[in-house]
Amino acid sequence: MYEIWLMLNIVWETLLAAWPLVLALVLVFAALTLAALLRRDAAWRAAWPVALAGAVIVGMASFLLLPSLTLSSLGELKYWVDWLALAGLAAGFALLAAALLLPLAALLKRQPT
Amino acid sequence: MKQRHVNGKILTTDVPGSGAADPQRRRWLRAFSAVPLVAGIAAPAAKAAMKTNARIVIAGSGLGGIAVASRLMKQLDGASVTIIDARQKHYYQPGFTLVATGIWPVDKVLDPTADFIPAGVKWIPEMVTEFDPAANAVLTSGGQRIAYDYLVVATGLQLDYAQIEGMDVAAIGRNGLTSVYAGPDAAVATWNALDAFRQKGGQALMTLPSGPLKCAGAPLKMTFMVADRLQQAGTLANSRIDFHTGLPTDTVFGVKVVNDDVLARWKALGIHNHYLSKLVAVDPGARKATFASPEGQRETLGYDFLHVVPPMRAPDVVKKSDLAWKEGGFAPGGWLEVDKATLQHRRYKNVFGIGDINGTPRGKTAATVKKSAPLVAHNLTQVIAGREPDARFDGYTSCPLIVREGSAMLIEFDYDGKLTPSLPMIDPMQESYLAWLMKVRMLKPAYVSVLKGRV
Repeated sequence: MYEIWLMLNIVWETLLAAWPLVLALVLVFAALTLAALLRRDAAWRAAWPVALAGAVIVGMASFLLLPSLTLSSLGELKYWVDWLALAGLAAGFALLAAALLLPLAALLKRQPT
Repeated sequence: MKQRHVNGKILTTDVPGSGAADPQRRRWLRAFSAVPLVAGIAAPAAKAAMKTNARIVIAGSGLGGIAVASRLMKQLDGASVTIIDARQKHYYQPGFTLVATGIWPVDKVLDPTADFIPAGVKWIPEMVTEFDPAANAVLTSGGQRIAYDYLVVATGLQLDYAQIEGMDVAAIGRNGLTSVYAGPDAAVATWNALDAFRQKGGQALMTLPSGPLKCAGAPLKMTFMVADRLQQAGTLANSRIDFHTGLPTDTVFGVKVVNDDVLARWKALGIHNHYLSKLVAVDPGARKATFASPEGQRETLGYDFLHVVPPMRAPDVVKKSDLAWKEGGFAPGGWLEVDKATLQHRRYKNVFGIGDINGTPRGKTAATVKKSAPLVAHNLTQVIAGREPDARFDGYTSCPLIVREGSAMLIEFDYDGKLTPSLPMIDPMQESYLAWLMKVRMLKPAYVSVLKGRV
């Protein structure tokens, strides 16, 4: 349990250290979601494939690029714990991308009225 | 559940209380509601604060002093907590090796002390100049005499560069003279010198004294990174790295399995080790360093790059006080005489120690403070309540040992040198990207959480 608590604190402090970026993302997400919710013709169902595709692309890009962006390389992943950690981080970025793309795609892909 | 017909399709909508929400929405709601649940399960159970009017003085505003203050403010109701320290800047010292090897900019290791002083804590921006434990008082550089009921000594240690003849801290960064320990400016200067050195390569002399050290892994990390920077620049082949240590033969680290692993890696990198060889003098202008054996034999060597690791001891204010060890192995360094399990002073029961100042077998690291700050706050609270300190420290410490840019090993161990990985799946002896990522991205957020008394 302590390790989970520690990890939650690390995530919290990491977000706090980058609060302008985090705030901007939250505002963009809130604005997109609100705009999509207010539009009766927003196509949520049709937006899912777009969001998922975007998430897959962002996840894969994150998986490939994160090591070099953190001054390391894929060649430094030496055992399964490394691969699991990188996959977890990439999944986090994929989730973020999906969260932003879903309302955006719902707005852009309006249902026929 | 209601059913609507739209364009010939049947859509279901939930009715409040029916328990049959749209599955997708239900999943989201569950996910969000689980957030406080996860935090609630993971967070340590909060106890009611103990009422007291105790006066607690904390000497030092480093990680240990502030972390204990943060915890005491949560655990005690009505206590007066005072931190005494003149330093206006808080140093994230675990980041010094990253600055000194060109990985981090210096601003990542500097924060205003005021940002971390917990709410409700009185901060006196002066230095403690004298401890008077018999009278339960400290004297400050501003001439104040401050009485206390309980004292936490968190002064940190003294880098004793003066023991090295000719050493000039102000000269770090010039003529190949470097040292990661002396502070953020020295770390920057060290990187500038290393960056210049790696362009051509040459003779590098790395040093490690015997005796207690803060972050005993730092001299090893610096050695690994000097080799890596030379390799990256293509100048390792025409360079020579010699590691001089005052420690006995085949010893560069206090944990045998780690020591042997490091020596094997250095052998592969062509690093030459010299044991029982202590740096005793340096001539920065002439780029010459003098080493001495225990028998007093001296050898002077030229260098293009010299990394100085100074001997370390307790600050004079502790060393010359009655709080220091009077006999035994910790007496010459003047370290604080604490019980290694409870971190309570062995003679003054209202005094506790935290961090580098403690005269304990191992662990002058931020990781040691992370594990021992909750313990000190708890044991101090016990003593305030009239009970015996009942929490016992195992000496936990940790060293994210950088082996090259992009890879590290996460080594955790206790007083006995036994490896104690926090997560069972982490192999301490496995060089890994995750350990590197932790060092460069995750440990400072963890450190800040320790300062805030949360972990």
